[in-house]
Amino acid sequence: MTVTDQTSAPISFRPREFEVLADGTGRLLGSRCRGCGAPFFPVRAACSGCLGTDLETIRFSTTGTLYTFSVVRQSTPAFPVPYVLGYVDLPEGVRIMSQISGCEPDDVKIGMDLELAVEEFGTSPEGAPLLGYRFRPLAGRGDR
Amino acid sequence: MTTVHVIGVGMTRFGKHPDRDAADLGAEALLEAIADSGIDPRAIEGAYCGHVFQGMVTGQRILAQVGMAGLPLSNVENACSSGATAIREASLAIRAGEHDVVAAIGTEHLTTRFTGALTPDPSDPEAAVGATMPAVYAMRARRYMEEFGMTREQLALVAVKNRRHAASNPLAHFRKEITVEEVLESRPIADPLNVFDCSPVTDGAAAAILVSDRMLKRLGNGRAVRLAASSLFTGSVDTEPTSMTFEPLTRKTAEAAYERAGIGPEDVGFAEVHDCFTIAEVLRVEGLGLFGQGEYPAAVERGEADIGGRLPINPSGGLLGKGHPLGGTGVAQVVELVRQLRGEAGERQIEGARVGLAHCRGGKAVGIEGAACTVQVLVR
Ligand SMILES: [Zn+2]
Repeated sequence: MTVTDQTSAPISFRPREFEVLADGTGRLLGSRCRGCGAPFFPVRAACSGCLGTDLETIRFSTTGTLYTFSVVRQSTPAFPVPYVLGYVDLPEGVRIMSQISGCEPDDVKIGMDLELAVEEFGTSPEGAPLLGYRFRPLAGRGDR
Repeated sequence: MTTVHVIGVGMTRFGKHPDRDAADLGAEALLEAIADSGIDPRAIEGAYCGHVFQGMVTGQRILAQVGMAGLPLSNVENACSSGATAIREASLAIRAGEHDVVAAIGTEHLTTRFTGALTPDPSDPEAAVGATMPAVYAMRARRYMEEFGMTREQLALVAVKNRRHAASNPLAHFRKEITVEEVLESRPIADPLNVFDCSPVTDGAAAAILVSDRMLKRLGNGRAVRLAASSLFTGSVDTEPTSMTFEPLTRKTAEAAYERAGIGPEDVGFAEVHDCFTIAEVLRVEGLGLFGQGEYPAAVERGEADIGGRLPINPSGGLLGKGHPLGGTGVAQVVELVRQLRGEAGERQIEGARVGLAHCRGGKAVGIEGAACTVQVLVR
């Protein structure tokens, strides 16, 4: 059986949390409570603030600041080391764990401005490339 | 309502046991606990078994091994708090009046289930982007260093202390002392943590026999230690990003235990805390209110947390020195508390120990501060 280009078009590695738009950019998905405004990542069934169940699915901003990070030197076979792992605070008030790419580990600093990037993130069981997210230094702020 | 007493404890040597399995280790610990309690095993009315990766009905396999199948038994899983949760469930069964004698067992044959870094469940969004438990704690360590000026050497001293304590524990995984330099030069795992900042992959099991007031009276066991509190909470869902250098979940679980036991943190004479990583011990003792926030690294440097110090932390060697067989850990902490409070801790005996605290915290799920946190208070 031959797999055509159409069927192997890149798709999100986690469609419930990460959406790839037609223009090729990506958005992280979460919930916002219509009752009290609390934001959540990932999508939730109810709000922990007010326990309301009227939540809307939202797309988060694509920029944030780095709360903390680590250079990971031992991991599972799915993740070749080393890689930089960080927690990124988004303006909506959620903290997202993400790999940090686009700069040398030595240049990563707490508080740096970052932006969401769509990057290859493994392959599906059928061998199709999957798209995921990493954060990179915000264009014009990082070294490159 | 009855109070609960621990009348017997047992545990295997912690370390690598290539020729054994989780049931076999659990059976050894249980038999020792029964012998230590002096109770007729036929008096045991129920059992709880904590483990994480040992598969279906591990607790039943343990009971079968020791000829005691036929009891009500539940296997409980709460990540690294599984064994502590078994203790709590056993105590609840007694407090509820359902049973007078219950066994709590914790076991794990981790070397056959895992190598390298422990990760959250693959279904978790953070696991999907490369989360490992060492990386999560490494990130907390970096942030703590930034906020409180803790040095890398101060952090290493936590491992040095716990390995020193473990050197005087014949059941510990590691029996050799290490230096700050050895910690700093050990293999990098997730910056700034090296392999000596991480608890090892350990096999082992522990068990305890718990009884009600009336059973204690009937038995007249003079070596009993009172389980004054056993609290358990899961973390709340964040509605905004919160500090990762403080542990509200540990604080909440501790406050519930202090209230139940009728004590405050100032009454605690020593503690076994969940030092899965060096930084974890720092976060835990501050969360428990045993040390002020940002103050523990300097206190370790001054020797305050040593056996013989103002407030000994992890006299058994902790997870870093004694080892961390996930399900076994919470029960083994209670074993150490009981032995210290009875004055049976040998070389590592804490003089005048009267109130001991054990803290476990395990698991990672996206968006909540921690999955399962337990605090036990034992009083002689
Ligand atoms: Zn709400």
